[in-house]
Parts: sequence; structure tokens; C-alpha cells
Amino acid sequence: MNFWTVMIDRFPYFMSLLLKGAVMTVTVAAGALVLALVIGLLIALLRMSRSRLLSGFAYVYTEFLRGTPALAQLFVIYFGLPDVGIELKPVQAAIIGLGINGSAYLSEIYRAGIQAIHRGQFEAAFSLGMTPIGSMRDIVLPQAIRMMLPPITNFSITLLKDTALVSVVAVPEIMFYARNLVTETFQSMHVYLLAAAIYLAMTIPMSRLVAYLERTRRAWQ
Amino acid sequence: MPRLIEVYQDNIRDWFPEMLAACVGTLKLSLVAFMVAAVIGLLVALVRISPSTSTRWIAISFIEVMRGTPALVILYIVYFVPPQIGLTWLTLSSFAAAVCGLALQGGAILAEVFRSGIEALHAGQKEAALALGMTPAKTMRYILLPQAMRVVLPPVGNYAIGLLKDTSVCALIAAPELMLRAKDLASSSFEPMAVFCLAALFYFLMSYPLSLAVRYMEHRLARHG
Repeated sequence: MNFWTVMIDRFPYFMSLLLKGAVMTVTVAAGALVLALVIGLLIALLRMSRSRLLSGFAYVYTEFLRGTPALAQLFVIYFGLPDVGIELKPVQAAIIGLGINGSAYLSEIYRAGIQAIHRGQFEAAFSLGMTPIGSMRDIVLPQAIRMMLPPITNFSITLLKDTALVSVVAVPEIMFYARNLVTETFQSMHVYLLAAAIYLAMTIPMSRLVAYLERTRRAWQ
Repeated sequence: MPRLIEVYQDNIRDWFPEMLAACVGTLKLSLVAFMVAAVIGLLVALVRISPSTSTRWIAISFIEVMRGTPALVILYIVYFVPPQIGLTWLTLSSFAAAVCGLALQGGAILAEVFRSGIEALHAGQKEAALALGMTPAKTMRYILLPQAMRVVLPPVGNYAIGLLKDTSVCALIAAPELMLRAKDLASSSFEPMAVFCLAALFYFLMSYPLSLAVRYMEHRLARHG
């Protein structure tokens, strides 16, 4: 049987399962993104704090999480934590693992974004009589968010691809179904190419968006 | 926590040499993949900036596909597909498949890095070289690339750090490296927490010096331009 006969024949079956996996992929990625956005902001604020202890903690946190593979962190959380009495379900472990891993990257993005805003912006807002919170909210943050949007979207692309790793802790996402399908049908080429196509269908529009955001940011600056 | 320390006291003599040996595997894999990726990246970058639109699109598609697909998928395709469809000449060992998979993705990442480095140079550099009668190839070889290399060092270093960490994924196709050994040790000792934390520490000890070096380069570039 040639490639296309098999592909056309099996396409509905393969896709029905792979797309079910894609829903889980997006769920895990979205959950991890939210977690990373929140923890990342916290870590960024600690990192910029005046206390040596707090900023030192944030430094060690980001360096260690960025310096070790997400897979190792995932294994510690899923296989290691039960040793100390914390048992997580695969999906929980996946979201927490990728979320904590991502928070280290996001904290650096936040920090770079906030520090890129010129101090004069703050000072001008103060001298116009705005409160510190008001000037943060109405002057600094809108500019910082514009700076941070492209790297955050880039991070989301990486995160989406990293969710492929959580198949090894039995989260039923794209690669989990793909592996099962290959064991079942031996059509590894078809299954993995379809899996790749599904990932590309999600990541390429996102990378186009990054390119667009960067163009508008440059025009705006 | 005290239990964890006990576990380390009991086992570190066995684990340490094993993991150290596996680190050599990780470094070997990273180094070979890095060199292949650099060659692919340079070639793709040159195609990417070619004057012809259709040639350029070959490079763009390669870059988008390789960067948009998880490394795990590429590794599975390279490792599992050829033997199953009867391409015996393309059937690779797990190490060779790991190198190929990582280098294909790395080539796409580095191609974009090299391209942005070349395009960041002032257009006058190229014009001046051409005006002095250098051929386009010589202009690239002697004028543009040497200057671009300096600018791209930090992002290339960042890529190397990412690569070092990404080799851990190759454990899933059983390539001989640190994560695979850690998985084996964890299941034979029933101490996953201790083993995987130790593995993470080893990765950190390998990647942190690299990231300090990258920061140093960025700092120098920022000061001296």
C-alpha cells in the first residue's frame, strides 16, 4: 500500500484521536501559561526588590529552573514528590511542572519589560500629580506590556511544544495518543507526520503573530 | 528532608560515577549536535537570504517546520519511521538519531540567528566590499560573516544552553545520556526524588557556566558595540 492510500484510509481514525490529544495539549499549555504568568510576576517583583535575601532567592530560583531541563523537573514532580507524600495526577503534575519551569522565563521577560521603560516616564507622571499606582497602571504598564507581548507569545510557542514532554507522565495529549496509535497500527510515519502537522497548525500562526507584533512595536517606537 | 540526606549518604558512591559517565554522554551528544546544527544553520541562512524568492521559500519552510514542531516529534520521526517503512540504509542508532533530530531543529534556530546577524550589519559594508571589486562570495566570506559572528555569539550561546537541556529529551529514544541513566537508576533504586534531583544538579552544573559566559559576552557587546 502506498503512502496516500493508507493516509486517506486511516485519516479519520488517526485524526479523531490526535485531535482529542490536541485539546489536552492546549489545556495543559493554557494552565501552565496562567500559572507561569502569575508566579513569574511574583518572582520578577522579588528579583527587583531591595532586600538582598528576596532578590537572591529569586535569582537562584530563576537560574536553577532555567539551567535544568523541563523533563528533569517534571520527573522530580511526578515521580519524586510521592516520596515526600505529595501524589499528583498526571495532568496536575504536567501543569505545575511546566508552569514552574515557565515562571523562571517569564520573570526575566517581565523584568526586562519593566526595566526597559525609561525612568523619566515615572518621573513625568509623578510631576503631573499622578499617584504611584496610577502612573504604574496608566503610564508604565501599558508601555511595558507592549514591549513584553512578543516575548510572551514566543514563550507560549515554546510552552506548547514542551507539552509534548508530558506524554511521558501519561498525560493523554497529542504525543501520548500518537505513541499508542503507532503501537496499535505500526503506521509510525503517518501518525507522527500528522502529529507534527497538528503542532505546526498551532505554532505557525503564533509565530506569524510574533512577527506582526514585532513589526508594529518597531513602527510604534 | 533528613531522609533524602540519608539516601544520598547511602548511595552517592554508586550514583556519582555513573552519572558523571552519563554527563560525558550528554556533553558528547550536545557537542556533535551543535556542530552539525551550526553547519546546517549556516547553509540554511545563506539560502534564506538568497535573492531568489523561490529558493528563499525553501529555507523559510524548513525553518518554520523545524522550529514549530516539538523536538520529541522530530526525534520520533528520525528514529522510529525509517526502520518501519523499510529504509534500512536510513536506520540510525539512537545516538545518531538524537544528533540528527536535534541538529535539524537546531539548524533552523541557528539559521534565523545567523540571518539576523548578517542583516544587522550596515548595508554599506556589503556595498563597500562589492565596490572594491570583491565577488559576492568573498564579500560574504571575508567581510560579512566575520562581523556577523561577533554579534551572534550571545544568541548562539543561548542556543547551546537550550540544546544541552534538550538532549534530555533524547532519553525517550534511549540515546546514551544523563536523563536515561537517571531513569534507570531511579527505577533500580526506588529513589526517584533523590536521583532526579541529582540529575538536575548535574545539568545545572553543566549549563550555568555557559549561561555566565553568554552574559559576559552580552555585556561586552553592549559596551563595545
